[in-house]
Amino acid sequence: FHPLPWRQRVAGGYMAAKISKLEEQFQKDAPREKQKDGTSSCIFSGVAIYVNGYTDPSADELRRLMMLHGGQFHLYYTRSKTTHIIATNLPNRKIQDLKGEKVVRPEWITDSIKAGRQLSYVQYQLYTKQKGLNYSSVCARGKQDPSSIHEPSKPSLNHLQSDSIKPQPSHTQTLSTEVLKSTHANHKANFTERSNHQGSQDTLLTNGYVHPVNAALKPQDSFAELQSLISTASPAKQPGLHSMQKDLHPKPTSNPGTSAAPQKGNLHDQTRVRLNGSYHMTPNSSTLADSSNPPGRSAAGAEAGIISEFFSRSRLHHISTWRNEFSEYVNALQSRSRAAGGAVFSGQEKLKKLRANCSSGSLMAAPQVRQSCILHVDMDCFFVSVGVRHRPDLKGKPVAVTSNRGPGRVAQRPGANPQLEFQYYQRKQQQRPLFFLNGVDLDLAALSMAEIASCSYEARQAGVRNGMFFGRAKQLCPDLQSVPYDFQAYKEVALSMYETLASYTHNIEALSCDEALVDATNLLVELGVTSDDLARAIREDIKEKTGCTASVGMGSNILLARMATRKAKPNGQYFLRSEEVDDFIRGQPVSSLPGVGRSMSSKLTSLGVSTCGDLQQLSISRLQREFGPRTGQTLFRFCRGLDDRPVRSEKERKSVSAEMNYNIRFTQVEEAESFLTNLSMEVQKRMEGAGLRGRRITLKVMVRKPGAPVEPAKYGGHGICDNFARSVLLAQPTDSGQLIAAEAIKLFYAMKLDVKDMRGVGLQVQQLEGSYADPSGQGPSRGRSIKDLLLAKQPAHSPRKDPPAQGRSSVIRTEFFKSSLRLSDPMPGTSKGGLHHPHTPNHVRTYLNVSIEVPSPSQVDQSVLEALPVEIRKQVEQSWRHREEQPSTSSHLSTPPRTSSSPPPGPSLGTLVLQLQNQPGQPCTTGIILELPDVSQVDPEVFAALPRELQDELCSAYRNKGNAQAQVGKKNPFPQLKQPAVGKLKRRYKKRNASPAKKGPSPLKKLFPGNSPAKSSPSKTLPLPLKHPGLKVSLTDVPETLSKFNPRPVPTLAGAYEFSDIRTLLHEWVTSISEPMEEDILQVVKYCTELVEDKDLEKLYLVIKYMKRLMQQSSESVWSMAFDFILDNVQVVVQQTYGSTLKIT
Amino acid sequence: MATLTRQDLNFGQVVADILCEFLEVAIHLILYVREIYPSGIFQKRKKYNVPVQMSCHPELNQYIQDTLHCVKPLIQKNEAEKVVMVIMDKEHHPVERFVFEISQPPLLSISSETLLSHVEQLLRAMILKISVCDAVLDNNPPGCTFTLLVHTREAATRNMEKVQVIKDFPWIVADEQEVHMEEAKLIPLKTMTSDILKVSHSQLFCTESQVSWLQLKHRCSRISLKSRCKT
Repeated sequence: FHPLPWRQRVAGGYMAAKISKLEEQFQKDAPREKQKDGTSSCIFSGVAIYVNGYTDPSADELRRLMMLHGGQFHLYYTRSKTTHIIATNLPNRKIQDLKGEKVVRPEWITDSIKAGRQLSYVQYQLYTKQKGLNYSSVCARGKQDPSSIHEPSKPSLNHLQSDSIKPQPSHTQTLSTEVLKSTHANHKANFTERSNHQGSQDTLLTNGYVHPVNAALKPQDSFAELQSLISTASPAKQPGLHSMQKDLHPKPTSNPGTSAAPQKGNLHDQTRVRLNGSYHMTPNSSTLADSSNPPGRSAAGAEAGIISEFFSRSRLHHISTWRNEFSEYVNALQSRSRAAGGAVFSGQEKLKKLRANCSSGSLMAAPQVRQSCILHVDMDCFFVSVGVRHRPDLKGKPVAVTSNRGPGRVAQRPGANPQLEFQYYQRKQQQRPLFFLNGVDLDLAALSMAEIASCSYEARQAGVRNGMFFGRAKQLCPDLQSVPYDFQAYKEVALSMYETLASYTHNIEALSCDEALVDATNLLVELGVTSDDLARAIREDIKEKTGCTASVGMGSNILLARMATRKAKPNGQYFLRSEEVDDFIRGQPVSSLPGVGRSMSSKLTSLGVSTCGDLQQLSISRLQREFGPRTGQTLFRFCRGLDDRPVRSEKERKSVSAEMNYNIRFTQVEEAESFLTNLSMEVQKRMEGAGLRGRRITLKVMVRKPGAPVEPAKYGGHGICDNFARSVLLAQPTDSGQLIAAEAIKLFYAMKLDVKDMRGVGLQVQQLEGSYADPSGQGPSRGRSIKDLLLAKQPAHSPRKDPPAQGRSSVIRTEFFKSSLRLSDPMPGTSKGGLHHPHTPNHVRTYLNVSIEVPSPSQVDQSVLEALPVEIRKQVEQSWRHREEQPSTSSHLSTPPRTSSSPPPGPSLGTLVLQLQNQPGQPCTTGIILELPDVSQVDPEVFAALPRELQDELCSAYRNKGNAQAQVGKKNPFPQLKQPAVGKLKRRYKKRNASPAKKGPSPLKKLFPGNSPAKSSPSKTLPLPLKHPGLKVSLTDVPETLSKFNPRPVPTLAGAYEFSDIRTLLHEWVTSISEPMEEDILQVVKYCTELVEDKDLEKLYLVIKYMKRLMQQSSESVWSMAFDFILDNVQVVVQQTYGSTLKIT
Repeated sequence: MATLTRQDLNFGQVVADILCEFLEVAIHLILYVREIYPSGIFQKRKKYNVPVQMSCHPELNQYIQDTLHCVKPLIQKNEAEKVVMVIMDKEHHPVERFVFEISQPPLLSISSETLLSHVEQLLRAMILKISVCDAVLDNNPPGCTFTLLVHTREAATRNMEKVQVIKDFPWIVADEQEVHMEEAKLIPLKTMTSDILKVSHSQLFCTESQVSWLQLKHRCSRISLKSRCKT
């Protein structure tokens, strides 16, 4: 394949385009050349040379040779891509510049071709002082298969690696004697051997020895690091080190016997592989990875396959994917029934019959009022009951589902320190005293660490809990029987449970494999039965079909239904009536609320809150202050039993992630890098599966806690860890594994971790949106946007989605996307040097950052505008005109590389993603130029330098310009260039544009669409310049002052700001609706709270008084209740802020 | 056109002058409206183009003037959070507080032309509001006195000692009793927002007796300073 790093395309506009074009030419010519000359090979695959100055053979000839032998030839030097520089003579200045690069004489190529394999370039290097070259030789030595040189010492070598921290004297002994032999045999000792030699004299240096071996896969740049490591390890051995360094360039001829050739072969394989950046993919590397790991241990999570294997085996992953499957299952059912024009609900029929049979008075008491009723169906200890389904002998006994089947004891492995970990867990789990307490800890070390996935109620009575380690559970409950996992059965049972539910209604939300939510509101009205009857019928059905019991909780919303389930369990049902909700919920611990985990409940405990009743005492603003606006509001509502989440059969995914914290043991940075790359591919797979793309990429890492044992008690487990996470926001959503990998690797470097201590890695992509224009997006479970498009259910009201009417242009875009993708075929992780690597993602950033903003006319200083070059000024003015004329149409411009040094803020709306294909600058057709706003920015040369297809694409896209309006492209990876000079100016505007106006989605706004006027436009919130037209704001001092004083956002209610507007809004609200929506009430409370915070008591007073008058006059008592609610909440806030309450007369 | 920015040295001074002038007028007016002193000592004057009442008792005027003279440097440096006028009954229990919260909005620059008329309008509105505030307030018991408090921002008090004007008219930290009112009810009177200052004038109302205070605001230290009341 042809690895053409995208990075380089990104680096700079014109050059990038040109270089890639040249490369393409090279690639095209290569096969032809090969045909002409029969003697082709691929010995130089992965090698990219750059010829500097005069050489013999000439550069042209070298180019031809590289073509023939699978290499690449660069006409321009790029540090990241060019692997070797070919030169015979270089001026001093250039040598300085090229420090750290491989500068090689051309003979290397000719000789390699003669030898039929890639020779080590070491002896061909032009200047031997180059750092990195030295290391490469070390690399070669260290990297070689131990068997080739230290045949007899292989086991001990491996042992040394694994136990590098505690060298075992006996092994060192054998090793060193072996090594000594070879050292004596070979007078010209190579680095490895020499360091072994040192090691034999000083055990300290065995550490030093291990490093080069471990570092075998490291790139050359880490040589310096390695050196320092060694020198710190043995300060006394400095002389020895020096001699060692001197010996670093062995002449192959004087290297008798000791398998020089295999070494070299290895080296070249290695270089090639490393340069490709994906050495784990090649067979060669996998053996390397194996050999660098001690026998008996798995390949430390480093190999490509392991991730998908891990995920195919991991039970958690397994089960968690089911939820999606069941969601899809429900969806499929729904669409099928839609297609069939109405479904047959066997369960419904049965219920109807049942009702007909015993049409006594009791059943007639069915609820006449249409009150919403949610059923939460949850199987009772699912895994256990499925596991013992066909084993009646186990019924009624304590049973646990776990992977361990033995007596719960395992042998202790070296390096592990389970006691320490147990102590740690014990400290951590003090709130859960059942876990690791009492004196039986003595031989805990030998206990099995297999976790219990689920346990029966009998076992729970004995103190066994889900998630407990099996060994411990066995101690608590000696009779505990273990049942193995049986995924097939789980799936069967789960499926039949869903089938059962689907036989009643299709309003099902799949929560997991064993629980689901059912919106039975309509069903109950239709059937005229009580919810209890329905629940009973469902439970009986499930029991009959699956042999397992289920519990059903019922309530008026999801929250209450779930809480009721807790009361219903095991094997029962409970309906939480609205009249008992208050009392019920007050007694519930906060931890029973959804979303309240350990950290939040501990935070709540610190606030003196343990039950929902306590939580009700806190004001909404307090909660929002503590937990953020959204979580605060949710908590505020949840603790009152309020929950308006609908039962959604199709859930919007919020994030796509892949995480692995089992068997992660890296030894080198490259392993981590390639692991991240592989993990990214897994994420890509999942995103593609879900038809989504995301903008925020989060890297989560678990790192061994300092002081924790190196080897955790659980085999391959992560032990005691600290969790770190970092995230980055991309300018455009992506599902490309390569892009994700690049970002992840950047994040990884930013975290500055010791790879050896990494115990878990996770990648998460958030801020998702559907990947429309996905060429393969035909599957039934593809992205929601596609679905929307197909079903045409929701015409694009969301700006993220592509309006369906634009089929044609979006096709064009797809092709365009494809072609540019191909051109820029990303190869993350390709950089040669691990330490260089952090640069590369930067390019990605520039590549993605493509928005340019033009501020509104009122915000631009006229004098500044006048000072701009004429064309640019025209553009700015034009963009304003544009804005007035077609506020919803985005105009795009291409920003050719050449002009990127000039500072024109292009004609685009507020914040726009620049898109090339809509208004491509195309200078060849004169009639069009007049229409194009960006003439000044088009460089014909650039256009000419673009690849043929691109040009075509541009042309056709241009022709389609007419209908390709109003597109805000999200999926355009064409390298759009940020203009550096604009940056500064732009940022200033950005600050000003960052309007603090609150325009969040508000129900009030929805209610009164006509009433969200321009009040919320930025002009209102930038108080000064607009109110006082006479004022002069000079651009220079604006940013400073703005940054110093961050103006508070003016509180707005549904966009309304003036009191009169607020009054109209409230009036309409109260008069037009008979019953206020809770969300609206909260919106009003929020507004009032903001008023208090804004110290606008007068307005608050007026608003409150107005509401009081309005709402208490209203005939509906709900309104006056609503007012009381609002007032109570406002008073709490006022009390907090001013120490006293408002006087409302 | 004269353009002032916050960076100009005299900007803070301008703001402080305007504000102190207003506070003086307001205090006199409150004293009159709330009948702390017999109406005989008040004279009708014209300020902001509206009629106001001003005491002609020299000692009282001196007290108010001295107090505001000390407040001025604080306002100038944006260190005063609230100016509070506390009205106390015979037992020195606060019954009423008039709180002037002062916050200086972040502003870029001001021009003298637009500023003055605009600010005057706002101040006029506040004065009018004060003059009719007894409509929403209960009557005060007889024999009330008043005191002025300043709530400063964090470390302002430390620097205050150094300023000469303040040395001549030393301040003390207010008693908790004077600052705190039980069961107080808040009555917002008026909020004005101009480019240079934002004053929300509110009044705290307490059922037992009457007090008033002036408050210049901030979050951290709730240090209230009291000038000795000579009346």
